[in-house]
Amino acid sequence: MPRILLVEDEEHLAAGIRFNLELDGYEVETIDDGLRALERLVPPPDGGAAPQPIDLVVLDVMLPGLDGFQIVERMRLAANYTPVLMLTAKGLPEDVASGLEAGADDYLAKPFDLPVLLARVKGLIRRRDWARGSTADAVRVGPALVDFANFELRKGEALVRLTLLEAMLLKLLVEKRGQVVTKAEILEKVWNLNPDTETRAVDNFVMRLRRHLEEDAREPRLLQTVRGVGYRLQD
Amino acid sequence: MSQVPQLSRSRRSKWHYLLVGVGLIVVAISLTVAWGILAAPEVAGTRAVAPARVVAYFFGSVMFLLLIAGLVLIVLLLLREVRLNERQSNFVSAVTHELKTPVASLKLYLETLEYREVPAERRSEFYRTMRQDIERLNTTINNVLNAAMYTDRPVAAPRPLDLARLARRAAELTLTRHQLAKGSIRYDGPESLRVSGDAQALETALLNLLDNAVKYSKEKVEIELDVWGDADGQAHLRVRDHGIGMSRTHLPFIFTRFYRIGAEVRRSRTGTGLGLFIVRAIVKGHKGSITVDSPGPDRGSTFTITLPGLLEPEPESDAEPEAARA
Repeated sequence: MPRILLVEDEEHLAAGIRFNLELDGYEVETIDDGLRALERLVPPPDGGAAPQPIDLVVLDVMLPGLDGFQIVERMRLAANYTPVLMLTAKGLPEDVASGLEAGADDYLAKPFDLPVLLARVKGLIRRRDWARGSTADAVRVGPALVDFANFELRKGEALVRLTLLEAMLLKLLVEKRGQVVTKAEILEKVWNLNPDTETRAVDNFVMRLRRHLEEDAREPRLLQTVRGVGYRLQD
Repeated sequence: MSQVPQLSRSRRSKWHYLLVGVGLIVVAISLTVAWGILAAPEVAGTRAVAPARVVAYFFGSVMFLLLIAGLVLIVLLLLREVRLNERQSNFVSAVTHELKTPVASLKLYLETLEYREVPAERRSEFYRTMRQDIERLNTTINNVLNAAMYTDRPVAAPRPLDLARLARRAAELTLTRHQLAKGSIRYDGPESLRVSGDAQALETALLNLLDNAVKYSKEKVEIELDVWGDADGQAHLRVRDHGIGMSRTHLPFIFTRFYRIGAEVRRSRTGTGLGLFIVRAIVKGHKGSITVDSPGPDRGSTFTITLPGLLEPEPESDAEPEAARA
């Protein structure tokens, strides 16, 4: 049974979301404070027995102690790549961008539709499973060896931990190696967004992958831009 | 990969402005001093000099000083503007949060009731939650409206009212609203204390103070509400709580519009930063004053309102006090 950590300080919302997630068969843990949430997700080194692993974090932005952006950022810095769905009262495009840039995997503005919330939760857990379950244990991409099961990319001595979105984007490109993958397809399959969405997120993530994969990220040989169409991973 | 939340971005740019301003002031002062040193021997008469140059030196010095004063003023004004801007953006965040959170909760519970089979006992719990959300929405809307209504405006038509009765009524309302035990708010004061004012406005002010006292209380709510009149014809209302208090550095600012302690993105209490601003506006409208004191964090806060216009006790007791009609 997937375990969800719900970080929300508004008692009513936390209780309502918990009720619905439990009905959908998830185990739910709730925390109402940013610092305690971070402690749960990134336990201090001498924190005793390892806590039960979390499959998904539903994270509010405005929290006492530490805000949601900082929590997700520190999680990623500490190599915790558990998928994060951010919930916030602010739904402006720049807020969405801030959330995704910080390392969140999905974003939902309050007030949200209950079916949409449940679908996003299900989608994130499914996408994580999709990104993990690879045809091969490890795939070679240029000079790098990518282990999708553990979201790890090894290039020579260096080991890079991939975020869920990075892993999904790379997996999509690997599966369609040699073909052009359009931006619309990437937005739909990786970000779960409408293909018409105006965002630089895809370009930013492609840049990040290039930094991991290419000798010189400014002159990409492996992960090429097909002007006006999308991207192609060379054979 | 790193992101900077908007708040820290604006804080950083404030320091840029400040650095530029302070830099300019230092340059201006250095110029003045250097110029003074160069010109001083001439003016002091160690070298022969035309009287016109002494006058020029005098005016030059005055101009330099004006320039420096102007620069200091601009930096201060700029800082004030930046601070106001920050507070306004915090207010927008707070109101967005205060409006959207109860709406999100209402929507969530309505949809849950619509899409799910909810057992009867959970159903009544959901209704209770939804009623509290509507209360919260109503409070935010009233705060925004009251802030517009009472700002910089004297009381239109002051009328005699019973402040003691108004205080007891506000205490009772607060007890009901927050579902508190009867002894949580202790009233100490006369049976009746007549002053001239706007009963509805004063009740709004007192309710705001009592709400704050509850909101910033720790586990146990203990509030003292005192009312008394003095020989100078002034009435006093004091609300004292034993809650989280505040550091002395915040005391001068808490009646400022949109002021909230701490960054909005790490909010720990509900509110818009308008409550105490409204209280002060209402008290000012009555030509009164309000003071706050807190010995420090975790040591409670005391708010005291002083109102002029204490009236003689009502000779007949059957007159309907204004507060009851408010």
